[in-house]
Amino acid sequence: MTDGRTRRVFVEMLREEWRMHSHLFRGGHFALFPVLIAALTAGAAWLLVTTGTGPGTVFAGLHALAFVFGLHTGSIGFVGRDALRNLLGDLTLLVFTARTLPLSQDRLLGIFVVKDLVYYAILFLLPMALGTGAAVAVASGGGGVAGGQGVAEGLPAAGTALGLWATLTLTFVLGMGATIAALGITRRGVPGWTLLAALGAAVGVAVAGNLDVAAYTPYGVFLDATLPRVGASLALVAAVFVVGALTFDASARPAARTVAPAFRRWRDRVGDPVATKTLLDVHRSSGGFGKVLFSAAVLLGVTASLIDLAGQITGVSPSVGVSFGAILGLSGFTTYNWLTQSDDVDSYLVHPLSVEDVFAAKFRAFLLLGPLVGLAFYAVALAWRGGPILEALVGAVLLVGVACYIFGTTVYLTGLSPNEFLFDTGLFAVFGLAMVLPLVPILVVGFALAPVSTGLLAALGAGGLVLALAGVGLYRRSLAKWPARYRER
Amino acid sequence: MPAIQIDDLTRAYGDVTAVEELSLTVAEGELFGLLGPNGAGKTTTMEVLTGQIAPDSGQVAVLGVDPVAEPTAVRELVGVLPEKESPPSFMTPREYFDFVGSVRGLDDETVDERTDTWAERLGFAEKLDTMATDLSRGQQQKVMIAGAFFHEPAVVFIDEPLANLDPIVQERVKRFLREYREAGNTVVITTHDVDVAAELCSRVGVVHGGGLVADVRPSELPADETLLDVFLDRVDATVERGVAADD
Repeated sequence: MTDGRTRRVFVEMLREEWRMHSHLFRGGHFALFPVLIAALTAGAAWLLVTTGTGPGTVFAGLHALAFVFGLHTGSIGFVGRDALRNLLGDLTLLVFTARTLPLSQDRLLGIFVVKDLVYYAILFLLPMALGTGAAVAVASGGGGVAGGQGVAEGLPAAGTALGLWATLTLTFVLGMGATIAALGITRRGVPGWTLLAALGAAVGVAVAGNLDVAAYTPYGVFLDATLPRVGASLALVAAVFVVGALTFDASARPAARTVAPAFRRWRDRVGDPVATKTLLDVHRSSGGFGKVLFSAAVLLGVTASLIDLAGQITGVSPSVGVSFGAILGLSGFTTYNWLTQSDDVDSYLVHPLSVEDVFAAKFRAFLLLGPLVGLAFYAVALAWRGGPILEALVGAVLLVGVACYIFGTTVYLTGLSPNEFLFDTGLFAVFGLAMVLPLVPILVVGFALAPVSTGLLAALGAGGLVLALAGVGLYRRSLAKWPARYRER
Repeated sequence: MPAIQIDDLTRAYGDVTAVEELSLTVAEGELFGLLGPNGAGKTTTMEVLTGQIAPDSGQVAVLGVDPVAEPTAVRELVGVLPEKESPPSFMTPREYFDFVGSVRGLDDETVDERTDTWAERLGFAEKLDTMATDLSRGQQQKVMIAGAFFHEPAVVFIDEPLANLDPIVQERVKRFLREYREAGNTVVITTHDVDVAAELCSRVGVVHGGGLVADVRPSELPADETLLDVFLDRVDATVERGVAADD
């Protein structure tokens, strides 16, 4: 289709996305969102650098964040058919109505992905680059965006920030493409575990061969913008999208799925019908429990990379327990999303259930899924990287504490609405602040003050307990806050 | 004691008043139709009566229970078929009935028995183990209808019950509704379909602009007047008055 319809649909999708968010989040509030992102990232970067974290580590972390962000955005493919039929159709009128136009689902999904890329690149990645670049330059005494490294060297501040933005955007694109390619391959009959095993083997070979894989990614371009690196990273991005385009079929409509009854068996174990339904929804929606495991696996990999990088740069090995525990606890954020995306509270109010009953059931489902999956991956991390037993115990406490705290905060701020509703700038500011305040000190200790003294470990353990209690407290306060709002909507 | 009592009910969404000072009584054993054009306030009235949303003012009671004060208690007593299609997502119809039975305290044996009865009555036995998200809209509607009546409540609120159903199933549902009423139960149908209201309901309340503009028994209308005449007269007249007032 080269007659301009693609461009028209793209422009209208972009317009609709903006209108949807600005309508949902009271217009002007949403326009301030990039400013908030810039402020949050600047604050976090400044704090990290002034407390001893190297600028290189901060930028590596920022690229890792962009990659994870891209993986998550690409995971629209995880919900693929369900999203196009249920989620996007309900949320975006254009995608829904476009299904009746002479447009293929593949093209529609392609335009949607490009629209997301433009949207996130401008509203998220640009302010992240500007905020972090400026903060690091200030905190490191004007040493430039990368502290004298790579693409930033010798460039004016605006140029360095734009360079950072470019590599962050490419990293984001790589993440999106990787997820879509992985989904396409698995839907062509290659088992997911085979793909993971192949990826693991490739990483193993690279590590064993002392091959600097990162050099051929957009992050490598950020470190040293030589022509071979630029070419290699662009080729990598193109390759994953070619694989995705060749394998992913958005219009594939498998036959109606028939399954053996499982509700009663699950209910007898879970003990609550709404929690049971919630877990069944997660299990049977596209991606199954695999999407929960995938989220945790990504955090595991990112943490491992950050620990290695921080160790290389500072010469000090970060605390395995504290670092993995705190970061894996963040998986609570995606778990909340998976648990709340298949239904809404209203749908339960035709039954003799109160809003409080639904909240309680979601919390129960969260406890059964979120912290347990996080702890399983934490065990993998400990088996892989080792570490003192006391740090390991404190890390476990931190993981559960952070996960509960994220759930409590999110539920208190948004009810059981999906995470997108955090895109209200005011709410997001509160959420961001609520996350940054406890997490930055924990990560500073884990990454910069290792080996962690017994006194600090005791404080972190107590902090983990406080976070867990704060999470439960916020959840309980949400029981007082949200029922009235649902009935007065 | 009436099955449903509504006194001066008012409910607005922001600047839009959906229901305005509506008063209405429905006796036990009636098959009552709440008939009105789109946006007349039918669904809002039903949501208030079932405790899903709170009114801005007025009093309501269902079987003597105040849904504002005791929403869960009211929903224990009634069945609800919502207007908004709310498929039981990734559960199968069989599992959805297990879910309904669980939240309503029915034992598994009763759930099995009623599942078979409803699957046979509405013709979805071969779909009992298909994920509801993969069912057609008509099949999903059948499941939701069965879910509303599953616990055999004394009062049932059903919003556009015949939507998406083929003529054969529509006839089965109509027959069932009549039998259910004859057994002494109360059924409230909200619809914008005049023919459905005229054919099924023992009494019809026509709502428009948030208020009740007519209250008739179709069987008692004069031979030269139909429910459609009443509907068009009251609704068109109201619109004309509204236009005149605006001018």
